[in-house]
Amino acid sequence: MSTDQNSMQREQMSQGVMSVGEGTRIFPDVEACIDCGGCVVACKRTWDVPPEEQRISISTMFEGQEAEKPQLNSNSGRALNQGEFPGETSFPMQCYHCEDAPCVSVCPVDSLQKNDDGFVEVVEDLCVGCQYCLSACPFGAPQFPESDDGAEAVLGGGGIMDKCTMCEERQHVGKGPACAEECATDAILVGDAGDIADELDKRDAAPAFNKEAMEIIFGADEARAFDL
Amino acid sequence: MTNLDHGKFTRVTTMFHSLLALDVFLLFFTGYSVMFNDELWWLLELMGGNTGVLALHRIAGVGLIVLTVFWITFMIIGPGRRSNFRAVLPDLKNDMQAFIQDVKFVLGRADERHPHARQFAGYTSDEVPLLSYVGKGVIFIFAVELTLLMVSGLLIWSKPSLMQFFQTKAAAMAFVVFHGLLGVIMLMGVMFHIFEHGFHPAFYPVELKAFISKDKMPHTDHSDEDHEGTGIELLTLRPSWNWAVNLGGAAVVIGIVSVLLGSIFDEGYPVPRELTIGGGPTNLLLTIGINVGVLVLFLGLLLSVYGNVLRARYERQVRAERRTAETSHSDD
Repeated sequence: MSTDQNSMQREQMSQGVMSVGEGTRIFPDVEACIDCGGCVVACKRTWDVPPEEQRISISTMFEGQEAEKPQLNSNSGRALNQGEFPGETSFPMQCYHCEDAPCVSVCPVDSLQKNDDGFVEVVEDLCVGCQYCLSACPFGAPQFPESDDGAEAVLGGGGIMDKCTMCEERQHVGKGPACAEECATDAILVGDAGDIADELDKRDAAPAFNKEAMEIIFGADEARAFDL
Repeated sequence: MTNLDHGKFTRVTTMFHSLLALDVFLLFFTGYSVMFNDELWWLLELMGGNTGVLALHRIAGVGLIVLTVFWITFMIIGPGRRSNFRAVLPDLKNDMQAFIQDVKFVLGRADERHPHARQFAGYTSDEVPLLSYVGKGVIFIFAVELTLLMVSGLLIWSKPSLMQFFQTKAAAMAFVVFHGLLGVIMLMGVMFHIFEHGFHPAFYPVELKAFISKDKMPHTDHSDEDHEGTGIELLTLRPSWNWAVNLGGAAVVIGIVSVLLGSIFDEGYPVPRELTIGGGPTNLLLTIGINVGVLVLFLGLLLSVYGNVLRARYERQVRAERRTAETSHSDD
């Protein structure tokens, strides 16, 4: 590849973090994820997350297997949406701060709140550890690190829920989420829905989630921006 | 006079009733302070705050299971207990007739209630069965509700385990919603039960038969053979009954309607967001209404405690009278 071609390629691809602040969304490009664990380390290091808890984790399915159709081998998202076998696919799983967040809907004590700036926040003083959010979240984001401790272990409670904050504090000072900033392959996209949809188009990648999940994450209107 | 007038329960039954009531009230107060936390924030704080309320709920749930296992075992092996099952079984013909006659009675087309509808008010055992059709219904409904609440409560005890067992999160959510909705239904039933037994004109403010066992009831020795009547005619209506029954009735209606509306307005739980029809936790009237409903439960708790206080006083009085009689007898 010539230097000019490399230059053009760089212009076409964006960094994972495209914009931060109010209305920011976070979304995985599963084709770019190589399950290196860099995001997990970045998150733990930034927020001192204890060993038994993961605010972000990478789920790799069909490890070592190829897609059924060779042309879909490098596009798991498209394969999944076409109902084809995608081959090895890695998902960075975290809280996507859904527009239509099921966790907020089921929380009986309003501990989970969707703020005006788009972040889904846990109000620790309200959480009763009922784990309804765990049942409702399609992405496995809610974590209950205290569930194996003391009385919680005896009585089966969950303690106070914890989850990815999308590094809200970092975003307030203009930085991107640690996981996305650290990702060597820019597999975690941060920006508004249009930015993320355009970036996936540039990469010739498709969202790895189905229409229903995309409408939960982005809302019915913004989900239309994606190639589903 | 028969024991039907004032007492028809054994000491074990009355004790069990009080313990069950205390445990169920604790389950309600902890469960509803979570379910209606917007409206009952003060109750949630009283029940252990956000970190303790569900622990208390689970402890009370274990208590309910222990009580139930004890009761079932006792009913199976206790002396003469198995015959009680027959008294609870529905008598389709008579119970249905009693229901129809009750409707006619309310509409003014029947002069009196059917014997199978006469739960209170001084009838003798050859006139009415041990349990009216309403009494049977209460036992059946509470038994089914408590069983289903226990089963669903145990199933959602550990939601991660449930999700793993069924290989789906939907199962956990389904049981959570079922548990919540059934709790609301039972709350309405308990409010009605409190009103039904706390405001009967003959026994207001508490029916002592629920607290004093039949062997301790006065006149059960039939010593006063010349006395006509069943003893109900000796009771007098308290002056406060009239306003109390109206106040209690209004509170029960407001409470039932409010918890029903609250379960719909509190979006997402236990009713899915798609089915909500508006309103919200900031609604002042709803907040007042749900609090009124919970105050009805507090009233029930209070009556339960008061009933036991009356029982203790009565037993002390009987002991004192017996001592006096023994003393005078020995003096003679």
